[in-house]
Amino acid sequence: MATLLDVNVVKYLCSCGKWEPLCRLYLCRHCQKLRSGDCVLHEVDSPYCPNCLENMPSSEAKLKKNRCTNCFDCPSCGHTLTTRATSQIVSDAEDPNKSTPKKMYYMACGFCRWTTRDVGISDKPVASGAWEDLENPHSRRIHSLLDFYHQVAQREKADKERKKYVRRRSHLIFAASMDKYGLTSVAAKRKSLLSSVSGISIKENEEVNICSLEPVEAVDDFESLPNSIFTDPLQLEKVSTISQRLASPEFQPAMATDLYPNHKHLLIRRSLRCKECEHNLSKPEFNPLSIKFKIQLIALNHVPEIRFLKPKELPFKKETKVVLTVCNPATYNTKLQLLPLEEETAVNNNTKTELPKKEIVLAPRDDSAIYDDNSQSQHGFKDDTSVVAFRKANKVGIFIKVTPLQQDEDAKVCFWLKHEYRNTTVALPNENQEPQIVWLQHKVVINLGPPHKTK
Amino acid sequence: MELEDVMYNNSEYIETASGNKVSRLSVLCGSQNIVINGKTIIMTDCVIRGDLANVRIGRHCVISKKAVIRPPFKKFSKGVAFFPLHIGDHVLIGEDSIVNAAQIGSFVHIGKHCIIGRRCVLKDCCAIADYTVLPPETVVPPFTLFSGSPGRATGELPECTQDLMVDVTMSYYQSFKPVGKSK
Repeated sequence: MATLLDVNVVKYLCSCGKWEPLCRLYLCRHCQKLRSGDCVLHEVDSPYCPNCLENMPSSEAKLKKNRCTNCFDCPSCGHTLTTRATSQIVSDAEDPNKSTPKKMYYMACGFCRWTTRDVGISDKPVASGAWEDLENPHSRRIHSLLDFYHQVAQREKADKERKKYVRRRSHLIFAASMDKYGLTSVAAKRKSLLSSVSGISIKENEEVNICSLEPVEAVDDFESLPNSIFTDPLQLEKVSTISQRLASPEFQPAMATDLYPNHKHLLIRRSLRCKECEHNLSKPEFNPLSIKFKIQLIALNHVPEIRFLKPKELPFKKETKVVLTVCNPATYNTKLQLLPLEEETAVNNNTKTELPKKEIVLAPRDDSAIYDDNSQSQHGFKDDTSVVAFRKANKVGIFIKVTPLQQDEDAKVCFWLKHEYRNTTVALPNENQEPQIVWLQHKVVINLGPPHKTK
Repeated sequence: MELEDVMYNNSEYIETASGNKVSRLSVLCGSQNIVINGKTIIMTDCVIRGDLANVRIGRHCVISKKAVIRPPFKKFSKGVAFFPLHIGDHVLIGEDSIVNAAQIGSFVHIGKHCIIGRRCVLKDCCAIADYTVLPPETVVPPFTLFSGSPGRATGELPECTQDLMVDVTMSYYQSFKPVGKSK
């Protein structure tokens, strides 16, 4: 979550026109553009149960209505139910005087203390799998509707196919009428073949569509509410809440005594794909427990991350030095430039900003540096002290001068971040090609917070 | 935003050879059962109950002020048994939180004033929002954010959660600076 860092104060402009913090962005290395979660294709890799963490293929999940068969949610508070074991004295069938203790199981909620016994569900002799589901009263109607729509879909598909054939046929006829290339006989042969094939399929579908649906009947009048509803005092503890009712939409129990355990909803693991070049941007490992990725093109690994040190004061209409820190994610020196926006119409910009004009070189990231506490190697950079505030490993602090122009709104600084990017996709590993170096540009907005009142 | 420096009174903390910074004003019961792997900060008024069962805390963790870490127990037909508590690397536990979990993975962020119930399992790369109550035996899968009471999945974390948490915990350790003389 990294809420400590307040990631939302620095946002980058995605290629789809949305401002997002860098940790929510991806860099497609084939298009070399930033992508956000809203402009990529989401593909379901595997649904899994968030409680037992069992994963299954999507087709199986669809059959199970995207719910876990073994885990249940408490119908009262929504927490996962846990199975409890008790022993019950069961009298022997053969000898009524003999009785043996038997292990029985029921489900209980560890949060609101609801149990299956509260609503009169009998204890089960096995720990899991014995909890039968309630029969949906409308299942027959739903199935007949589903069947009907299947047929409608089939007919539409057949229609579409027929149209395709018709078009091709007319095209052939046109070609035949031209008879430029002596294709008439070939075309005619093909035509007759096609029409016979398409004729069969259409006939079939016409037959399919015979089965009709009994239409819904509108209700004219219904019973008025019983008087007791107005006279009897409402017992809140016996009525279910709206969220409890909506948790099981097919039954919507009105009374607390009608609550029934709900199967737990599945969560999904998903991979992301760039819409333009259709390359994968993120592909997690199959196991829902794994936090590793087969493919992970997150922007944080490729684009320098900008943060800032909170200025002690930011007086209105007064120039203040603010320190931006830029972090190099790459393992090589990266050149970087901050450029002002050409268009002064940028909505976000309500400050006058002076950016450093020179190129700044970022030191490479070195993962082993953390084990070496006293490495003060400065990589021999000769920095202009009016621009560079400090250097620390792969991080550099840059001074920018900001003058807030609006009293009442948060001071926002907007600029282009232009940086080098070494594209490794183009270079083939067997050829000793130098990786291609390109310059990438991203629009960045920084929210510095409200300016201080000048006294 | 960059983290601001947090200054602490040098005489208040002990720094071990492996870089752990443990407040003298924290309560570590049964210290022979507590293993802290290094570069972990344990702040003032924390309680770690090593006397109940083993507690193992990984590297680069931050246990904020007034947090309580105690191993969970389970009732059996013959009394209760306590289970060891494992906390992974790069874990951040907020102020005033009470952690009763059986297992906390790596790169986990637990907010302020949270209650993590008995024998909860927090997998890697998950987060618990501030003021969340996780009932006993909750499982938090990777890349999910739990919030509310009872805590339930209300959000998703970005794929780079691991990098973010590593960065936060490391820079927290670096910005946690002493002032004054040590004893």
